[in-house]
Amino acid sequence: MKTSRMRVSAALTCVATLAALAAGVTASDTQPANAQANLAQPGQQLYARHCLSCHQADGGGVPNMQPPIKGGTWVMGEPRALALFVMTGGFDSGSRKDSDNGNVMPPFRQLPDADLAQILSYIRAKFGNGGTPVTAAQVAQTRASLPPSQ
Amino acid sequence: MRTISLARVVSLSCAAMIAGAAFAADDGLKLPAGFSATVVQEGLGAGRHLDVAANGDIYLASRKGLNAMRDTNGDGKADEVKAFGDVAGTEVRIFKDWLYVSDDVGVYRYPLKKGELAPGGAREAVVSQFPKERQHADKTFALDPKGTLYVNVGAPSNSCQEKDRQEGSLGRNPCPLLEKYGGVWVFDGTKLNQTPATGRRFATGMRNAVAIEWNAGQNALFAVIHGRDSIDTLFPALYNAADNATRQGEEFHQIVDGGNYGWPYTFFDTKLGHRVVAPEYGGDAKKVPEAGKYPDPLVAFPAHWAPNDLLFYAGKSFPAKYQGGAFIAFHGSWNRAPEPQAGYKVVFQPMKNGKPDGAYEVFADGFAGDMPDNSPNNARYRPVGLAVGPDGSLFVADSQKGRIWRISYGKK
Repeated sequence: MKTSRMRVSAALTCVATLAALAAGVTASDTQPANAQANLAQPGQQLYARHCLSCHQADGGGVPNMQPPIKGGTWVMGEPRALALFVMTGGFDSGSRKDSDNGNVMPPFRQLPDADLAQILSYIRAKFGNGGTPVTAAQVAQTRASLPPSQ
Repeated sequence: MRTISLARVVSLSCAAMIAGAAFAADDGLKLPAGFSATVVQEGLGAGRHLDVAANGDIYLASRKGLNAMRDTNGDGKADEVKAFGDVAGTEVRIFKDWLYVSDDVGVYRYPLKKGELAPGGAREAVVSQFPKERQHADKTFALDPKGTLYVNVGAPSNSCQEKDRQEGSLGRNPCPLLEKYGGVWVFDGTKLNQTPATGRRFATGMRNAVAIEWNAGQNALFAVIHGRDSIDTLFPALYNAADNATRQGEEFHQIVDGGNYGWPYTFFDTKLGHRVVAPEYGGDAKKVPEAGKYPDPLVAFPAHWAPNDLLFYAGKSFPAKYQGGAFIAFHGSWNRAPEPQAGYKVVFQPMKNGKPDGAYEVFADGFAGDMPDNSPNNARYRPVGLAVGPDGSLFVADSQKGRIWRISYGKK
């Protein structure tokens, strides 16, 4: 299907960009724990609004439907890689044959930088991941790397 | 078909609650008085549908593969278990001397030979080459006595939006998915090597009718259809989370040749008690579709309960009120979150002459347990498959641990 091919192509673009981003992680990307707490609180409501019905309140996902994000490698990983993943959406069957999950995450590129930063900071703090917060600047930087038509 | 009023929906809910009060604890399940459950098997992985042969042998489909099991010493537990075949999927049905099974892309059969627990013969393809999809891909099916094969081809979509499950995205009109999905396709179940192109679309407008069953008493096909998700997150100006958790009925229909059951253009709103136009197609949370275009359901069950199997009881051991009535295995919700999850239960719908005969009753409950964090992951069990044994016992399969119960009446 044409749509499927486009998604695969988009996903591959993402993977390449993610690799580049991951290679560029620096110490300046990390922030103190109190900043993490401040960012995470408003993210809870945004998580409930945009993410909870699929990934559930505990981040555990739903078997065969949506994957858990609790402790997930994307959630725990490099902030801009996570931001890119959420803005471009999940991978479809063309690129993830090992997945049993029926649903593909839609892209959340339409959300403002600040909202995305709050959601991502929340899930990194909430689900036992211990990840550092994600800043709006990091989201904006990631957004700037996206192809315009995606 | 009759319209379901708001009063009827309320009365159904009340009846279900009253029925629940009469339950007695039994093996962790709550069952009506006089019934008891025993565990036949556990640990075979994520169970799906099952069937029981005339000699009592049990066949379970699962996402890990097929298993045959037998109680060799009469203690009620399956002590001989054999994995067989190479099909991982949902459906399994005994038809004459064959075991019909399915996965996401085909329907197959194995010869059932006398004395043989696990089929040793080669698998034959009845229908193959359904497109590989991830969403609503299980090819559940029913067979009528002539061997006509009715295959549920679920739609790989929530509501046929231009961009699936994206906020505000409008519906494609006409929905092109309906050409190949979102309905029941019919084949000759006695012939081999058919493809979707050689089948005929029997009915359409069905998002995903996992629970599909031939009713021998009525000589007719019935199904309970998974309703759509996420009216609140996709159209937040029209619906809130409480609306999404409660309004999209799981529709129970008699499926007739040429029938159109309204997906993706409409859904049955259990709050309003009538069908409404879906928000992707110009709905405003109350707009009514063209009169007479789509039938109302026989029953609209609560939103997101996930009807995964349907069985018309024709056994001999349950009380008379169960004869010809419908048991429905509800897998339980995920899309009700953040509202409390619900629907992890087996329901009995009394039927007479192919129509509902009174309110549904919760028949077996207590599967999910406390379910910490309101998460389906934490459900203890989730009922997913139903079958009747030769003595009239009802068998229930679970998808969390592969547990199988046998529910009997009047004996321990």
